[in-house]
Amino acid sequence: MATAAIAATEPDSRPQRRATGLRLAVVGKGGAGKSVISATLARTLARRGHRVLALDSDTLPGLSISIGAGVTDEFPLNAAAARNEKGRWQLVKGIGAARAVQRFATDAPDGVRLLQIGKTDRRGLDPNRASHQAFYKVIHRLDDVRSLDDWVILGDLPAGPRQAAYDWAPYAQRFLLVVEPTWQSMLTARRIVRITATMRDDREFSLIVNKVTDDDDVDRVQEFLGVPLLGVVPADDAVRASERAGVALLDAAPDSPAARAIAGLAEALDAGNIER
Amino acid sequence: MKIVVAGKGGVGKTTVSGTISRALARAGNDVLALDADTNPMLGVSLGVGPEETDLLVAVRQGLETGETEHERTTDGFVERFGRDAPDGVRLVVASRIEQANPGCMCCGVSPEGLLTELDSAGKIIIGDLEAGIGTVMRLQEGHADVVLVVAQPTAKSLNIARRAVELTDDRGGRVIVVANRVRNDEDLAVIREAVGDCEMVVVPEDAAIAQADREGRAAIDVDPDAPGVKVLIELAGRLAGMAVPA
Repeated sequence: MATAAIAATEPDSRPQRRATGLRLAVVGKGGAGKSVISATLARTLARRGHRVLALDSDTLPGLSISIGAGVTDEFPLNAAAARNEKGRWQLVKGIGAARAVQRFATDAPDGVRLLQIGKTDRRGLDPNRASHQAFYKVIHRLDDVRSLDDWVILGDLPAGPRQAAYDWAPYAQRFLLVVEPTWQSMLTARRIVRITATMRDDREFSLIVNKVTDDDDVDRVQEFLGVPLLGVVPADDAVRASERAGVALLDAAPDSPAARAIAGLAEALDAGNIER
Repeated sequence: MKIVVAGKGGVGKTTVSGTISRALARAGNDVLALDADTNPMLGVSLGVGPEETDLLVAVRQGLETGETEHERTTDGFVERFGRDAPDGVRLVVASRIEQANPGCMCCGVSPEGLLTELDSAGKIIIGDLEAGIGTVMRLQEGHADVVLVVAQPTAKSLNIARRAVELTDDRGGRVIVVANRVRNDEDLAVIREAVGDCEMVVVPEDAAIAQADREGRAAIDVDPDAPGVKVLIELAGRLAGMAVPA
């Protein structure tokens, strides 16, 4: 009761963290490889015995394809939110964050549960508006869901420099910054780190350098960004082939160098073997 | 004439916009390159340099922190938020401002509003749009003479490209698909299947473009004769020769 009262008067106050599971959000420029890495991490962590909730936060196609769940034309959470008499969006009575996850998350391969924000279609944002609002409200309350305390929560965020800062992943304790060794990708990553630094100071970044063909690239990216390195994923035609076919890397080429490298990242995260 | 460039993030919109802008300017056209992406990068592909690109973006974002004064006129907008790029291209950063003053020329105007506002008589305006289909969805007649939809042979990119093509077809606009990073017939086949019989140019996978991305340079400066760059220069020539409805 007391907690609820505080939450009502101070919407920005955070409950003391109890979660024992990893809380991750994947950020970076469009095309850097966020979805492939998110999907492969989520499934690998599930194979390692964790219960995993994967969050597809992008209204454009991404994680749902790469994890092997496919894109639905439905608006997954439309039944979970409605406007109140003042026109403000609210979760429907009887649906809290826990219930929403239980009811609206769907099964993805390897036992991962996947919650999707829903996709923008040719009619624009409106048909997906309720789902969008519900998703946002749910992810803002995930910290309160005790039954998820020991789950891994892993969100694939929309591309661009502002998402991390504009509170699209309040659950995240660690941002995984996916960067390829191009200037556009590096500048985007620097913008993400700088904008986030102005808004919050309690989250950590770990760098994943993707599509690497040359070890010098890793040094160059890391030096430019000054973010501790989690690991490196090599450029790999198997990723290109699976992305062309629209299937999960783990299903198309589980033993490819990229899949193995991402599995290594999952292992490091799992073991808490993270450079700070 | 007004050209806009759309597609998924990372497919090469900015490379296409930058290279075409430079090629058109090199051929003697008056070119205004409008960076309407929420993550502005066009300066890099025009050959202005990564750090210079970020400085220009910082001026734009200064509107949010009050460090940059607002601007009421279109000419002032092009002056204040722009700079000259090689070959005489004028680059203007027009990314969305979070706390915009309603009705303010420099910060409250949408990309499609700007395309209406800017005078394109005797010049070519190239708009590098934000990733996805948001702006394409809002385009109406008069906003753009041609929509270039950049696509790579991946399921995600083609999902977005197909919707951008459909949206442009629906309003009777002209659309050209730029099939990018094509390595082989299979790549081309998946793109063709997704976008139907739409007008298309094919940009092959090109080491010079990859090198430009890694070095933060303009592809046309790395090698104007590289196969992918040449296709884009030819596309620029075709666009310049197109009749613009009065």
